[in-house]
Amino acid sequence: MKGKISEMMPTDRNPDEYAVKRMISAYGITTPKSVLMDSREREVELRFPVVVKVSDPKILHKSEVGGVTTGIRDRKQLAEEVSRMKARFPNAGILVEEMEKGGLEIIAGLVNDRNFGNVIMLGMGGLYTELYHDVVFRLTPISRTDAADMIDSVKIRVFEKGFRGIKVAREAIIDLLWKLSLISEDIGGDLDMLDLNPVIVNGDRISAVDAKLILKKLP
Amino acid sequence: MLDDLFSPASIAIIGASRDENKIGNVILRNLVSSGFSGRIYPVNPSYPEIMDLKCYPSVKDIGDPTTIAVIVLPARVVPQSVEDCINAGVKFLIIISGGFAETGPDGEKLSERILSLIRNSGTRLIGPNTVGLYLPYSNINTTLTSYSRVSFPPPGNIGFISQSGALGLLTMDAISEYGIGISAFINLGNRLDVDETEFLDFFESDSRTGSVAIYMESVADGRAFYERIRRFNSRKPLVILKAGRTEQSAMAASLHTGAMASNDSIFDGMLSQAGSVRAYDETELIDYARVLAYSKRMKGNRIAVLTTAGGVGVISTDYISDPGSTKPLQMARLSENTKDQIRKVIVPYGSAQNPIDLTADGSVNDYDRVLEILMRDDDVDAVLVYALPQTPKMDMGVVDVVEKHMKTGKPIVVGVLGYKIAKQLLVEFERRKIPAFPSVHRSVKSLCALYEYSAFRSVRQ
Repeated sequence: MKGKISEMMPTDRNPDEYAVKRMISAYGITTPKSVLMDSREREVELRFPVVVKVSDPKILHKSEVGGVTTGIRDRKQLAEEVSRMKARFPNAGILVEEMEKGGLEIIAGLVNDRNFGNVIMLGMGGLYTELYHDVVFRLTPISRTDAADMIDSVKIRVFEKGFRGIKVAREAIIDLLWKLSLISEDIGGDLDMLDLNPVIVNGDRISAVDAKLILKKLP
Repeated sequence: MLDDLFSPASIAIIGASRDENKIGNVILRNLVSSGFSGRIYPVNPSYPEIMDLKCYPSVKDIGDPTTIAVIVLPARVVPQSVEDCINAGVKFLIIISGGFAETGPDGEKLSERILSLIRNSGTRLIGPNTVGLYLPYSNINTTLTSYSRVSFPPPGNIGFISQSGALGLLTMDAISEYGIGISAFINLGNRLDVDETEFLDFFESDSRTGSVAIYMESVADGRAFYERIRRFNSRKPLVILKAGRTEQSAMAASLHTGAMASNDSIFDGMLSQAGSVRAYDETELIDYARVLAYSKRMKGNRIAVLTTAGGVGVISTDYISDPGSTKPLQMARLSENTKDQIRKVIVPYGSAQNPIDLTADGSVNDYDRVLEILMRDDDVDAVLVYALPQTPKMDMGVVDVVEKHMKTGKPIVVGVLGYKIAKQLLVEFERRKIPAFPSVHRSVKSLCALYEYSAFRSVRQ
């Protein structure tokens, strides 16, 4: 591991969602505006609606344990939800984030393959990712041409011209993949997997709504 | 490094036999029949001579430096033979025998023993467990299947490497029907020493090899393989048939990206990134290798179709316009000027729209004139020409016409349907190194392969 991600990595090498998002932000990947609610009371300067999430490296699938509440419309509702979440997960961080509306859900990620080393993935996000297998891989590092080829290999290409009111800018996705490839190079052989799922793309606006990183166990 | 393997002065067959049912007999017979001009040394302590060739009790007794020794002995005695060969200064060993790492722990031990002998010696090893090599330019055939069972193709431009010996032999037999040639066939067997990458080094600099086709089931070092084939593809095209597509990943995945990362999806992405066109069966493998070896590169994806049968044109249009492909082709939109010129050539009830239909009235001369027009139209990147023998005006002259335009102009792929005359047409196109295919689907798919590789080269150079 090297670079910014190495400097920002917690000593237990087990970053929670908030930490992962700060790391990818350092590489220029946009994440929703957010506030981490810890023991101190904070003034929240966010645009409603917001989402409240548990941020704990031990909880990989938050919604399955009731760790995500979306569509919170005002301060009163937010205060209630934060205290409910704190009661439910007393030892975890609670993350409040602005919600992204509309747009196309895509998935981007990294995984270390035994034979090929670190690889990058792009695909259609949402419910059916695993059903349609509409994903594509490349070995990192990638060039911008590789990134463009990846977009052409999955249905995301259709949304470049617009489909059902959703339109995505090619350059924004190329940029995301390019930055993710830099992260892959910096994590190097310590990588196990990284998921940005979903990333919401709206024109040239792009936002990694959820981010998870697992490093290899140290021997 | 491998140059001596391709032009050896002498070849020994260790385990040569008089018994026609033994592999040691077939290989010796193949080598003699293939017309190898170097010295052939059968080795077997039981005979004074085999097939009128002096037979030696051991490789040590030959008394002449041997370039290649083909070993056809039971696995357990192979290490001793390997040692003898190393001491005799043999440059290359081809171990045909099976019974090594592929059979279990005992075989594994034999493999390790051989490897430790080879290491730090000047001798290189192909195999074990290989069906051998076929090198038509050097008249060398060390394969274990006799000429009475399979045909071996003539010298040509495709380097063929196969991890499956049987698939390699049968594919060579199949392509021989049309006179499709290869520059070499190599079956690597267990790849104990020499692997694909060294043969790629050879093929890259070999002027007779225009493209390489590989059938593979696994790769030892994925990263190194990727780097190697990417470099190769920036010089010459490499088509890969990779089997085992449905194998599941061994990875225990807690995240989506890991769960989606099957071995094949990563391999597939790697191939695209490295510029290798992927084939999905043995027919596609050689089809794509041929079109890539014989054709110039396409500047774009716009195809003009020239036919004498409407139906063939329509099916082609359907395949060409298939939007499912990552690098899709499209039907060229011919300019008004082009269409006007074509109308002057064809009969009134023909079609000057793409697909261009000369109808049953189309003559070889019409093909010539229309191709001339299409070669000048900047909105056409390649032409799919159908040479269809059902009309009385179609004859072998079409081959000359296509050859003339292919040499001077844009890439042309030829589709030939039928059997009686079609077969002769296909053989003649092949003889002139014009990519011709016996079905609409194969013709269009080959154009796709050409476009895919062309796109890789145009972006990367």
